[in-house]
Amino acid sequence: MEAVFAARAVTKFYDMGEVRVHALRGVDIELYSGEMMVLLGPSGSGKSTLLNILGGLDRASGGSVLYRGFDITAAKDRELTQYRRRHVGFVFQFYNLIPSLTALENVAAVTEIAENPMKPAEALELVGLADRMHHFPSQLSGGQQQRVAIARAIAKRPSVLLCDEPTGALDSETGIVVLEAIDKVNRELGAATAVITHNADIAGMADRVIHMSNGGVSHVELNANRRNPRELHW
Amino acid sequence: MLRALDRKLFRDLWAVRGQVIAISCVLAGGIATYVMSASTLESLQQTQSRMYREFRFPELFAGLKQAPLSVATRVAAVPGIAAVEARVVAPANIELAGYGQPVSGQVVGLPLGAGRFNLLHLHAGRMPEPGRDKEALVSDGFAKAHQLQPGFELAVTINGRKQRLVVVGVASSPEFTYQLAPGSIVPDFKTYCILWMNAAPLEGSFNMTGAFNQLAASLERGARVEDAVQAVDAILRTYGGLGAHGRKDQISHRFLAEEFKQLEMMATLFPAIFLSVAGFLLNVVVGRLMATQRGQIATLKAFGYTTGAIVWHFVKFTAVIVTIGTLLGIAGGAWMGSGMSRLYMDVYRFPYLEYSIGGGVVAMSFAVSLAAAGVGTLFSVLKSAAESPAVAMQPANPGKYRRSFLEMPWFSQPSRMIVRNLERRPVKSLLSIGGVAMSTAILILGGFWGDAVDYMVFAQLRRAQLDDLTVTFFTPVSTRGLHSLRSLPGVTYAEPTRSVAARFRFAQRTYRTALQGMEPEGQLRRLLDAKLGRVELPPEGILLTDHLATMLGVKPGDTVTVELLEGSRAVRQVAVAGVVSEYIGVTAYMRRDALNRFLREGDVATGAYLAVDPPAMPELYQRLKRVPAVAGVAARAQALKSFYETLAAQMLTFAFFNTLLASTIAIGVVYNTVRISLSERGRELASLRVLGYTRGEVSYILLGELTVLVFLAIPVGLVMGHGLAYFMAMSAQTELFRIPFVVRPSTYAMAALVVALATAGSAFLVGRKINHLDLVEVLKARE
Repeated sequence: MEAVFAARAVTKFYDMGEVRVHALRGVDIELYSGEMMVLLGPSGSGKSTLLNILGGLDRASGGSVLYRGFDITAAKDRELTQYRRRHVGFVFQFYNLIPSLTALENVAAVTEIAENPMKPAEALELVGLADRMHHFPSQLSGGQQQRVAIARAIAKRPSVLLCDEPTGALDSETGIVVLEAIDKVNRELGAATAVITHNADIAGMADRVIHMSNGGVSHVELNANRRNPRELHW
Repeated sequence: MLRALDRKLFRDLWAVRGQVIAISCVLAGGIATYVMSASTLESLQQTQSRMYREFRFPELFAGLKQAPLSVATRVAAVPGIAAVEARVVAPANIELAGYGQPVSGQVVGLPLGAGRFNLLHLHAGRMPEPGRDKEALVSDGFAKAHQLQPGFELAVTINGRKQRLVVVGVASSPEFTYQLAPGSIVPDFKTYCILWMNAAPLEGSFNMTGAFNQLAASLERGARVEDAVQAVDAILRTYGGLGAHGRKDQISHRFLAEEFKQLEMMATLFPAIFLSVAGFLLNVVVGRLMATQRGQIATLKAFGYTTGAIVWHFVKFTAVIVTIGTLLGIAGGAWMGSGMSRLYMDVYRFPYLEYSIGGGVVAMSFAVSLAAAGVGTLFSVLKSAAESPAVAMQPANPGKYRRSFLEMPWFSQPSRMIVRNLERRPVKSLLSIGGVAMSTAILILGGFWGDAVDYMVFAQLRRAQLDDLTVTFFTPVSTRGLHSLRSLPGVTYAEPTRSVAARFRFAQRTYRTALQGMEPEGQLRRLLDAKLGRVELPPEGILLTDHLATMLGVKPGDTVTVELLEGSRAVRQVAVAGVVSEYIGVTAYMRRDALNRFLREGDVATGAYLAVDPPAMPELYQRLKRVPAVAGVAARAQALKSFYETLAAQMLTFAFFNTLLASTIAIGVVYNTVRISLSERGRELASLRVLGYTRGEVSYILLGELTVLVFLAIPVGLVMGHGLAYFMAMSAQTELFRIPFVVRPSTYAMAALVVALATAGSAFLVGRKINHLDLVEVLKARE
């Protein structure tokens, strides 16, 4: 299988006054094409930092991150913007929809600047929101808003889909609906998907689970049979 | 020890320091204009009343041709009149060694002893000693303009007789605070002067020994000016009385009164504009602060802080801004006010002017800025502070939006965001537009003064008054005498004119002014309509200055009663043939031949307009001074120059402050609008950056909103500025002065440009913040 990401010896520290905080202490990791990966760990384990570096939102302090041979740790700001624009789909814990745009328009906001995107309506159908297309965020439930966010992330046909605690703000039932949507787009579109969570129950839906603690990978777990999110509960 | 909540206050203020500065500056602008106008007004009024008291400014004034001193005793016996002083005042031509221009003036006879009215303030030197015939005092403006010191000699021609006088002192008097030479537009201290000398020698030179031609009086408590005027007029009629009047028609007093009116308006209008903008900005900023601190407020309340304590906390936040703004405004206003007072001192010759800021002005400054801030913020503070903690700790729901009727199907999503945001808060958008429009309007007002003055000068001195020199005679002379003027070197053309004091009556209204006899189809003086087209004099009948027609309530075709106040004293019904447009003074015009018939006089003139070859001018002055009949000579070029010199300083100062203040509003409104948008939508914009939007694309959303606001505001501002200039022009309409309503296209363009630049500057400042949006942080926290 082709590695979409290859991270080698990635470190990240923040200087907070006189204290240096090590968020990542040399992480080696790959993400393969079409794979569903879950990054599991308690808060402060470095999983969000890693995701931010993979997504081109933050720069590593050391090591290298190759996206299909392109070293994003050395990229300029402008190149990172183009990288996010073309290749990366993001889903955030708090959805981050644009309140002044309808569901359809939120998706269109991304497809308008993408190369070869799908139709916004098509993306919303994929997450089961065909009947809510013209609703504004204020008219949607949290789960529906998160599904719009997923549609927005995948409408550009990204190579990678990065989800940061996508169910963190939702109850379990709604969370499962959202995870189903992520699972579905991963299978149907083949985007390499990384889901961050501190909820171990979610790990069951992954091909591979990366356990993180203290800024490093503690162990990697392979699921022979990834489970349907429907079968998960917490 | 600072309490925790107070520490939070200062940190909150520091966090929004850009906006604190912007609002303080707008507030300061309003307070500064108020303090400047109000303190100048107060200082001038105090100076005026102190000066009137100290130097005994009379309450009644009368001019006449000549009367024996016994007549003054009769006037003193008029019921209601408390005291009378009679004196001789004579026109004079003055020569100053080394100064080539004609200088004219008045010589005032000083009574023996202390004098009853119009006491003099000595700036330098001493009073003329009794019995010294050649000693004189000069007015301080003239002394300053020519740097005259006691000991200087002047050649003064009185009644055609030239004599040398020695300047022994420099003085000022309340009756000459505004020194306007006959026929001029603004005081010109270089070419017009007041001289005081002992009465006896002056009476001798003017053939007036034992007689007088001016009279001043004070009134008994409770006496009516109108009654006294009537009684005095009755006595002086047979002595060539020119009509008595009270203080309100005294020229210095009247100009001051007009000035006070203008200052009063400035002390109200401008502060009102600035303070309403400041109140709006505070509302927006405090409202935003309350929104971002919703959770914190809830937490504080959960810990047991009362609603009152929280309201007080935010009141203090506002109070700090108000205090900074007010103090800045008072300091700026004091600075501008003392500068303005100096300008006044240049034009109005007060013996002294103590500029001070009264406690009332300071208290009022704080009161109005607190009121503006209170109106702006109290509602949103009360509303937020009263929210229950449980509700406030919940995350705010996504803002409610709807489709805008303004958006087009082909709009990009960022364009939709712009339009929907503007429409979601229509009041805020409208107020932002209003604020920027106000600053545009104020800028237009600044330019309007310059445009109006230029137009006035153009109309008056390039279209209406085409003579090079205006000569006035002591007494009416036969037009045959004009031949001698025509034969003087350099005179290419001469046109006679006849001026007589007259009273005009229509219905219940009367007005006293000059009736001017003009040559039909005159070459050097033209009567113009509002469009600068020539108005022909009718064979009979009169033309009125438009403002005089308005004051009398007459229109062309009506008949007015004209009562001549000199010569034949004839009274006649005369048809008003039309109106002429003039900006200075009010006059009635008649054909000179018709006026002379009215006066039952032959072909006489009281003055002449001359066209002169410029190279011959200096010699002509010398020759004119030796013509006994000539009372005064005024040069048009000099009048133009002094007009510009006097006004240019004021205009430039005004335009500078005006631009500064208007830009403060523009920057304040624009900066705050865009800064608040950034704060409200930072998360949204960061999300878009994460999704792959470039900095430029994100800036478009924020600055696009601003651009739309400014583009809508500028045309509104242009219309408002047009209206404001019109309002100013109309409210400045007085008998002395009218401001033409003229705004050049370049003034509109300049105002729009300054606002556009202020916007670009603010956009640049905030644009830099967009580049530093923290993409990681903004995704973590829920707002």
